[in-house]
Amino acid sequence: MEKVNVIIDGLNLIAKSGKTILDVATENGIYIPNLCHHPDLIPTGNCRMCMVEVEGRRGQIIACKTPVEDNMIIRTESQDISLIRQTTLELIHSNHIQDCTNCHNNNQCKLQEVTAYVGVNEKRLNSLRRTKPLIEKDESNPFFTLDHNKCITCGICIRTCNEVQGTNALDYGYRGFETVVSTFGNRSIKESVCESCGECVVRCPVGALYPKDEKLPTREVKSVCVYCGVGCNIYFGIRDNKLVSARGDRDSIVNKGRLCVKGRFGFNFVNHPERLTKPLIKKNGEFTEADWEEALDLVAKKFASSKGDKFATLSSAKVPNEDNYVIQKFTRAVMGTNTVDHCARLCHAPTVAGLVQSFGSGAMTNSIDEFTNAATIFSIGSNTTAAHPIIGLHIKEAKRRGAKIIVANPKEIDLCRFADIHLQQLPGTDVVLLMGMMKVIVDEKLEDSGFIKNRCEDYDDFIESLNKFDLDTCEKITRVPKEKIVEAARLYATNKPSSLIFAMGITQHSHGTDNVLAISNLAQLTGSVGKESSGVNPLRGQNNVQGACDMGALPNVYPGYQKVTVPEIQEKFEKYWDVELNADIGLTHTEIFDQIEKGQIKSLYQVGENPVLSEADANHVKKVLDKLDFFVVQDIFFTETAKYADVILPATSFAEKEGTFTNTERRVQRVRKLVDPPGEARDDWQITCGIAKKLGATGFEFNSAEEIMDEINEVAPIYGGIKYNRIEELGLQWPCLDKNHPGTKFLHKDKFSRPGGKGRFFPISYKASAELPDKEYPLILTTDRSLYHFHTSTMSRRVKGLELLNEEELLLINPRDADKLNLKNEELVTVKSRRGAVRVKTNITEICPKGVVSLTFHFHETPTNELTICAIDPVSKIPETKVCAIKIEKTDHNIK
Amino acid sequence: MERSEVLKQFKPDHENMLNILHALQNNNSQNYLSEEDLKIAASYLNTTYSHIYGVATYYTMFSLKPRGKYIIRVCNSPVCNMENSTKVIEEIKKNLSIEVGETTDDMRFTLELSECLGKCEEAPGMMINEDVVGNLDNVDFKSIFDNYN
Amino acid sequence: MIQEKRITLKNLGKINPESIDDYINEGGYKAFEKAVGLHHIEIIDEMVKSSLRGRGGAGFSAGLKEKFTSEACLRCEQKYLICNADEGEPGTFKDRIIMENDPHLMLEGMLIAAYAIGASKAYVYIRGEYYKSIDRINKAISAAKEKGIIGKNVFGSAFSVDVEIKLGAGSYLCGEELTLLESLEGKRGYPRIKPPFPAEKGLNGKPTLINNVETLATIPAIIYNGPEWYTSLGTEDSPGTKIFTISGDINNPGYFEVEMGVTLRQLIYELGGGIKDGKKFYAAILGGAAGTFVNESVLDTPMGFDTLKEKGAVLGSGAIMVMSEGRSLFDITNSILEFFKHESCGKCVPCRIGMPQLLHIMENLKNNKIGRVEALDLLLYESEFMAKSSLCPLGQSPILPIKSLKQYFENEF
Repeated sequence: MEKVNVIIDGLNLIAKSGKTILDVATENGIYIPNLCHHPDLIPTGNCRMCMVEVEGRRGQIIACKTPVEDNMIIRTESQDISLIRQTTLELIHSNHIQDCTNCHNNNQCKLQEVTAYVGVNEKRLNSLRRTKPLIEKDESNPFFTLDHNKCITCGICIRTCNEVQGTNALDYGYRGFETVVSTFGNRSIKESVCESCGECVVRCPVGALYPKDEKLPTREVKSVCVYCGVGCNIYFGIRDNKLVSARGDRDSIVNKGRLCVKGRFGFNFVNHPERLTKPLIKKNGEFTEADWEEALDLVAKKFASSKGDKFATLSSAKVPNEDNYVIQKFTRAVMGTNTVDHCARLCHAPTVAGLVQSFGSGAMTNSIDEFTNAATIFSIGSNTTAAHPIIGLHIKEAKRRGAKIIVANPKEIDLCRFADIHLQQLPGTDVVLLMGMMKVIVDEKLEDSGFIKNRCEDYDDFIESLNKFDLDTCEKITRVPKEKIVEAARLYATNKPSSLIFAMGITQHSHGTDNVLAISNLAQLTGSVGKESSGVNPLRGQNNVQGACDMGALPNVYPGYQKVTVPEIQEKFEKYWDVELNADIGLTHTEIFDQIEKGQIKSLYQVGENPVLSEADANHVKKVLDKLDFFVVQDIFFTETAKYADVILPATSFAEKEGTFTNTERRVQRVRKLVDPPGEARDDWQITCGIAKKLGATGFEFNSAEEIMDEINEVAPIYGGIKYNRIEELGLQWPCLDKNHPGTKFLHKDKFSRPGGKGRFFPISYKASAELPDKEYPLILTTDRSLYHFHTSTMSRRVKGLELLNEEELLLINPRDADKLNLKNEELVTVKSRRGAVRVKTNITEICPKGVVSLTFHFHETPTNELTICAIDPVSKIPETKVCAIKIEKTDHNIK
Repeated sequence: MERSEVLKQFKPDHENMLNILHALQNNNSQNYLSEEDLKIAASYLNTTYSHIYGVATYYTMFSLKPRGKYIIRVCNSPVCNMENSTKVIEEIKKNLSIEVGETTDDMRFTLELSECLGKCEEAPGMMINEDVVGNLDNVDFKSIFDNYN
Repeated sequence: MIQEKRITLKNLGKINPESIDDYINEGGYKAFEKAVGLHHIEIIDEMVKSSLRGRGGAGFSAGLKEKFTSEACLRCEQKYLICNADEGEPGTFKDRIIMENDPHLMLEGMLIAAYAIGASKAYVYIRGEYYKSIDRINKAISAAKEKGIIGKNVFGSAFSVDVEIKLGAGSYLCGEELTLLESLEGKRGYPRIKPPFPAEKGLNGKPTLINNVETLATIPAIIYNGPEWYTSLGTEDSPGTKIFTISGDINNPGYFEVEMGVTLRQLIYELGGGIKDGKKFYAAILGGAAGTFVNESVLDTPMGFDTLKEKGAVLGSGAIMVMSEGRSLFDITNSILEFFKHESCGKCVPCRIGMPQLLHIMENLKNNKIGRVEALDLLLYESEFMAKSSLCPLGQSPILPIKSLKQYFENEF
């Protein structure tokens, strides 16, 4: 960018042209008072406080809207300027409740700051008419208050809601002196479309928007959010050993200071009285408190008698890498089995299975930050704004920068507001939609033949498989009009760089791996992978599901995706761990439950999971758990699954431990201890090491999480250079091979990570979902997520505000289906599948197309997974939780 | 007319925002923009509810509460004010037994004030719906209002 | 005795405003036909030479404005011409008179201007309350479309144009050209900050020319008769004619199109029939609410943009509100300030909070809490501050009447 010379208050400065006077002054430490300016937002120039004088120009001009020009001579102070600022300030004060000592923002208030600098003329101020406080505070939102009486109508909240969050809950209402910040209908915040992200609260320069339960912290510590896989960096405020505040880290490349409602307001669960504080042992059907010695002795004794095939571990995508490493090491090295798995099986197993075959690696190929520079973003099977809200913001930002957005989703999700094309395919028909698009691309010769020729293989077989997917067939099966398929195909293939995003809507199918392969075909066909802002990006669900996979909490690989079946690798680990290891691939999540049912597996060690709610066909899971000889649950709360345990071990939450999480873009980030654990809760790795030591094992003598990472560095090449001292600030993206390696921003740059370095095409055919609607069960049930809850809500429902914002499950159903069944809105109905029944209220909405209904699985009162089908993808073993057939019956109100 | 029929007369461009709001308000039997009107206009123009609410509350010709069949707009700008529009307003208030901003019980008239209607040569003036009535110094308001049923 | 010189009102009373044939029979659309036969730069040259100054009030050279818009970007897909028919300045009704009586004349001016700058799309942004004008213009547009005067390849030329009417909805500020653009884009009537000027980035970010109705209605005569003819009328700094709308304490209130340079005395006593009830002239407000008070010392000043400026007064929209002896300057000032408060959009601090504070000063004066001298000084201080700090011309307006009060009526307020 061109440089210009400017002089501000006699200082010679060099500035980038295009920057405003205010930007340049601020960068150079020159203060110009302002109230309506925020660096994240487009300036509007309405507070009139940043007046400066420029030589050669008449009067005063505002610094926030005036770009610097070469040889500009700027004065930030003069008698006129000072009088104008003072008078403006007096007007603001005349219209502002003078309630500073009672104000939440006291001492953090920008109006105070400006007043201190500018000063007011008391005599003039006293001659002004004072506005009386008239408008009642809006207390409707559980997390923050809106006090119009303190509002200076700077519009920062409005612009934040529009420009940062894209929610547009707020705008100015009325005009002139009566202007207010208003929702639609000037209703309370809770009645608006507000998503409670709190971004406006953070930016409000005065005390008009303030958090309800936040206190000023004694100290702040930076850590990583524990909810979804985005991995937002947060400064947590601590006071009296409690979390009292959270603010986004503006320097973080992941979230750039932004947070969603859970990330900002969802951490009270850490302080919750129901936290587990002592080990519990089930005696005569009752849980009784025990000390650690007794509990660990019991566990060790029982585990000792069920080594090898009799043992299984379910590790956790919620706990740090170090804990996962120790847990899988324990399973392999001490218990002699590779049967360790975790919930990735239920979310992205097909991603790993598919992308490893086609690209050689199952992770997101690009960085989150790269989305903003994409020209086309194709989001398929991802309710991005609800499940990965901050990535949703990156997409919205891309849109603002001119990107085209294609959303493929059976439902009209929130992201559709930003979509240029919405492809509303029937659940389970993604292969047809994707192959249809590819046929268009090939027929219209829009493919990237150079990329295909130089970087891929097995193209011909794939091309042949395309023949079956003519547009008429595709339209018939997917219900997407063929013109839209054509339009989307052209856009994705030509408006580059194109980036593809997907999530559970692609994977949770009995043909999930085919879906993923179809995606990798599409990306290779158009050369849209292995480039900056262009690639295939599976959004990982849990905060550390990427890390749990990386650490080898999977039955077929050691840490760093090193196959258990490769003798050299087995040898390496045997040598390093100094034990003999089992060469057989272990069992997957779903297979574990089958083998428990068959009596093969006797003991189950489960860390931080809740399969009774999260597993497909959950009734089956409950029956199976009863069959276990010995069941250990290690968790922070007494979950629905914990009821079935024999021993419950109290673990520390993310807030009480050191370690690392690896986010969805492969970025390994530091998790830091914020508060002391409740009661006797211990870090997961400490507990597992304790059991191992009781079993006489060696290699578990760690003193800290960092020591565990040192071992990970040694055994997992992709983590080779990820040292704590290197990730104090920003984190590193694997592969990071040694301590000098900078990490990897995007994958497959010059060659794919498959052996031989080529990407591979796969021929694909369409396989229908396992259970399609029929006469008896005429509707398709698909599953989704709510912005306000996470997974089985163990954490989020223990946050009062989140619970208030989303109190119960609602069955989303199209008006035409509701009419046919004669259902009213919020009517209690019974949803039945061949496997179970759930009672739930209706929400009649166009979000769902005709024939499709939708539920989340956040509520234990309405366990959705008692309805879903455990039809398994043959390759990745994921159950088909996105499609099953159901019927709806009106509930007889006499039966409770 | 169905709202969708009203909308069909306009292309869904933002340049048509005010034209559409006028048309929906005219189409509303109670002479106002209901929340339903605003929502359907927002969807049609692909804008947000809060934005359209901000627009509708900004412009004085739009009302967000039901109004009478006839809207009386009395000019209260400097010229008419000089020619005693205050008295005109008082007389109308008395005649219809309503305050400014209110609607008669029979939902016939709503009384509003307006800025300069450009009828200064006949000040003081007012409009009753689309009709301009000037020279209101000494008129029998009852007989004027009787013409509007 | 001064005579009217009608250019923009030439057809008034002579033709049926709803008949395009009537208009054509009076030589209508001849200028447009001539224009499309010329190179667009020739039109702009003629316009610049005519020295026509914008009749909306600001008095900027209409020709230069055309020139800037025309040159703004040569490869732009879209440029716009907007007719600003959002007349709302108190005491002003000249545009209404033109639109109700000769809508085709305004339309012809628009078409010529559109051709000159290369705009294929033209809008009339008109006050929502001007029902009759709206009706007349709608009919005029339809008739012109039927005749092929609006449409593709008009008069066999390469020029194609479409004209649409867009309604305002009750906001004085939307008559300000940048705010008008916001309103036309379907937003609240919040002013934009200059630069960029509409000539560079106007409607939808595209080069846009915005002209007042009276300005546009003058164009056909200039193009038809040539700029020399036009500059022969009026004064050197303000050539041509102007419609004055006179109201208040006058026997014959109404509108008069006369050559610039006419004096206030001529307008009041010769055309306006003198002061009502035989009273003495006391004061006049020139230019509307955003105008200036003058006393009898200005009665013989020739009306023109610059001549009035020398007297601390403005020509503005051509509105003249006349007050006879016995009138209260306080009441009219209060009414003006109420008007501004009502029309303040609320975007910037000085105007949003400053307007009610001006009224607060008036209230204090009324209640004898402060004296006249102090009140006027406070008003002057606040309005001067607002003029310096407000975002748009509305907040910069109260200074006009208040400063002129101080100048001409310091002891009588």
